[in-house]
Amino acid sequence: MASSSNGTKSPPTQVQRTKVLLLGQRRSGKTSIQQVLFNDVPPKQTFYLEPTARIVKHVYDTVIPLEIWDCPGTTTIDTLGAPLAEFSSIIFVIDIQDSYQQPVARMLDFFIAAYQESPDISLEVFVHKAEAFTEDYKLENFRHIQQRVIDELLDISSDYEQMPLNFYLTSVYDHSTHEAFSRVLHKLIDSLPYLEDMLNVFCANSQASKAFLFDVKSRLYVATDASPVDAGTHNLCCDYLKTLNAFGPLYKSSSASPLRLTASSPSSPPKPTFYPSAAVTLAPSTQGTTLTYHLITPQLALLTLMQTAVFEDRRGLLEYNVVFFREGVQEISQVETDARTGTS
Amino acid sequence: MRSLIFSNNPASLTSRLGATIDVEQNHVRFLGDLILNLWDCGGQDSFMDSYLSTQRSTIFQHVGVLIYVFEVESRDMSKDLSYYRDCIDSLRKFSPTANVFLLVHKMDLVAGDKGAQLEKKRRELQHESGEVGVTVFGTSIYDESLYKAWSRIVHTIIPNATILSKHLTTFAEACSATEVILFERTTFLVIATSNPVQAESPFPPPRAITSGSSTPTASTALATSNGISSPPSSLSGTVIPGAEGGDAHKLNATRYERTSELVKALKHSCSRVREEFYALEMELPEFTAVLDEMTKNTYVLIIVHDPTIETAALKINIRLARQKFEELQSDSVGS
Ligand SMILES: Nc1nc2c(ncn2[C@@H]2O[C@H](COP(=O)(O)OP(=O)(O)OP(=O)(O)O)[C@@H](O)[C@H]2O)c(=O)[nH]1
Ligand SMILES: Nc1nc2c(ncn2[C@@H]2O[C@H](COP(=O)(O)OP(=O)(O)OP(=O)(O)O)[C@@H](O)[C@H]2O)c(=O)[nH]1
Ligand SMILES: [Mg+2]
Ligand SMILES: [Mg+2]
Repeated sequence: MASSSNGTKSPPTQVQRTKVLLLGQRRSGKTSIQQVLFNDVPPKQTFYLEPTARIVKHVYDTVIPLEIWDCPGTTTIDTLGAPLAEFSSIIFVIDIQDSYQQPVARMLDFFIAAYQESPDISLEVFVHKAEAFTEDYKLENFRHIQQRVIDELLDISSDYEQMPLNFYLTSVYDHSTHEAFSRVLHKLIDSLPYLEDMLNVFCANSQASKAFLFDVKSRLYVATDASPVDAGTHNLCCDYLKTLNAFGPLYKSSSASPLRLTASSPSSPPKPTFYPSAAVTLAPSTQGTTLTYHLITPQLALLTLMQTAVFEDRRGLLEYNVVFFREGVQEISQVETDARTGTS
Repeated sequence: MRSLIFSNNPASLTSRLGATIDVEQNHVRFLGDLILNLWDCGGQDSFMDSYLSTQRSTIFQHVGVLIYVFEVESRDMSKDLSYYRDCIDSLRKFSPTANVFLLVHKMDLVAGDKGAQLEKKRRELQHESGEVGVTVFGTSIYDESLYKAWSRIVHTIIPNATILSKHLTTFAEACSATEVILFERTTFLVIATSNPVQAESPFPPPRAITSGSSTPTASTALATSNGISSPPSSLSGTVIPGAEGGDAHKLNATRYERTSELVKALKHSCSRVREEFYALEMELPEFTAVLDEMTKNTYVLIIVHDPTIETAALKINIRLARQKFEELQSDSVGS
């Protein structure tokens, strides 16, 4: 059963999707993570989620087409119904409040089997529900789990020393799940280096201090420039997108047509397509920061931080650079689509 | 509830609030010289008993507005009501012209039909209030309903809100705007809108939302007294934020309180990275909007549906209107 597509026209059926496997013990939070990220479910509402009885495949279209398999807690390699080699990434969710022995053993079964079939697979561990603990206790548990996983792996065989495992502390109650899943996503995007290059160039040309390319609906960032990601900035960008997403329909008029998005009728002269934009200023003075937003494709938006003075004085240049950036991203997306539908 | 509206606190942190001991007084500068003197009264029985006996005249004198908070799922409604009746009696004696607002709070905890439950409570409370006119709201800190209630409450204490509204209408026309909304700066409560004078519309049931844990508390009486001379009652039933507006556009009826909630949330996000929210402009598929400082104490939101109008033009208009509104505002609060 496929569900929750993000409103784009249904892509050609033969499109090759990147598959992500979501595993973990019962009630570890797999469905919650999927629903909060891709279905806009408020974190508190995950309390009412039913246990997952059979595998649910969620498709999601962003810079690449994804297929996320949300599994019941009891899934085994045999009941999965697909070879592990089909997946590009496996995320194993461990409840930080639960005992670790069983989940770690199960996780290693999956990881070892997957690693043997395809050594390039991304193996990701979400140590989840982390908000429940104090900062110190959380980190202590996090380290403990990592150490335990590595010890057990080496006990099994020293061949696995090179197995690339990534650990993340996550919780649906803050931005950590978005941040972690973004990092998981980055490894799946073949065109990532091109996107990053374009963001670097954009920052340099527009005097922006930071730029993110975000998936608008899920609020995952698909790429960012080379400067380090500061958690606070990332969180603010996420919240800003959430605000804009909520504002969008709030003042919708039932009579005034949204002239801007409707493709011009054949008779009228072609208008340039309208792309939404926004800016929030973060201090009365021009010394402060402005956070800009430009929609790039129906799914992706460019968010940048720059000095308010720069934003105000060089707006024309900014808009010009956005047009170039957009063309570049659209080209990359096209290449990606062609490769996946076999039209190239 | 007070911490949500008057400080920049998110709902998730309210469970850490301690019980209010006796009365906490707060002065909130609302508009220019209009200072809201907020008395947050602890709701535990011993405090309530003392408000109604030794402290009676102190508490109930010079009250402009009484806000009485009931828990929708109270453990002991008959006790709540008995305290309420005593408070109403005291209020009638000491501040007969005070406006009374009753908040049926924690609506998010109602499992079944929220609208029906609220209606039942409303009738019950109106009955208990006898001939004292009361306005009842269903509220929850987990959605925008609290902003709706407080905007309406605050509206009754702003003198000359009608005049502000008229000027906003003129301003909206100058901007080719569908609507212009004026917010108080710290609370982001709606002060006035450009929409034509409307009669009070029936209060729709709050959005259905669900929630997690609850901490039981006694209902709290929150009395506001203020030093404004004009009797607030003379203003009721004039311009009411939340009434249907935007005529042909049929805009979402909950947009004002949703906007308050959204902007408060964004302000909170900014403060978490030690930034200060200042202004927002949006060119979205459905509309163009600018949210910017209007006067020292207010923010203005301009909503435009005409796609040819640019945000830069709106910002210039705001700059040009500032002086006028600064004057208006000081007139309207009678400095
Ligand atoms: N405290 C906390 N609870 C969470 C978090 N994420 C999920 N939960 C809760 O964990 C419980 C189980 O979540 P589910 O998403 O149904 O877990 P699952 O792994 O899909 O469970 P199965 O489908 O039965 O395998 C729910 O009550 C969630 O509200 C989190 O980050 N923090
Ligand atoms: N579910 C739910 N809980 C709420 C709501 N509003 C407040 N609470 C919770 O109720 C508890 C008490 O809130 P307070 O604001 O301290 O209550 P109070 O009326 O001031 O209490 P006193 O000062 O003792 O009179 C806190 O744990 C809040 O998180 C609401 O709308 N819904
Ligand atoms: Mg599940
Ligand atoms: Mg209190």
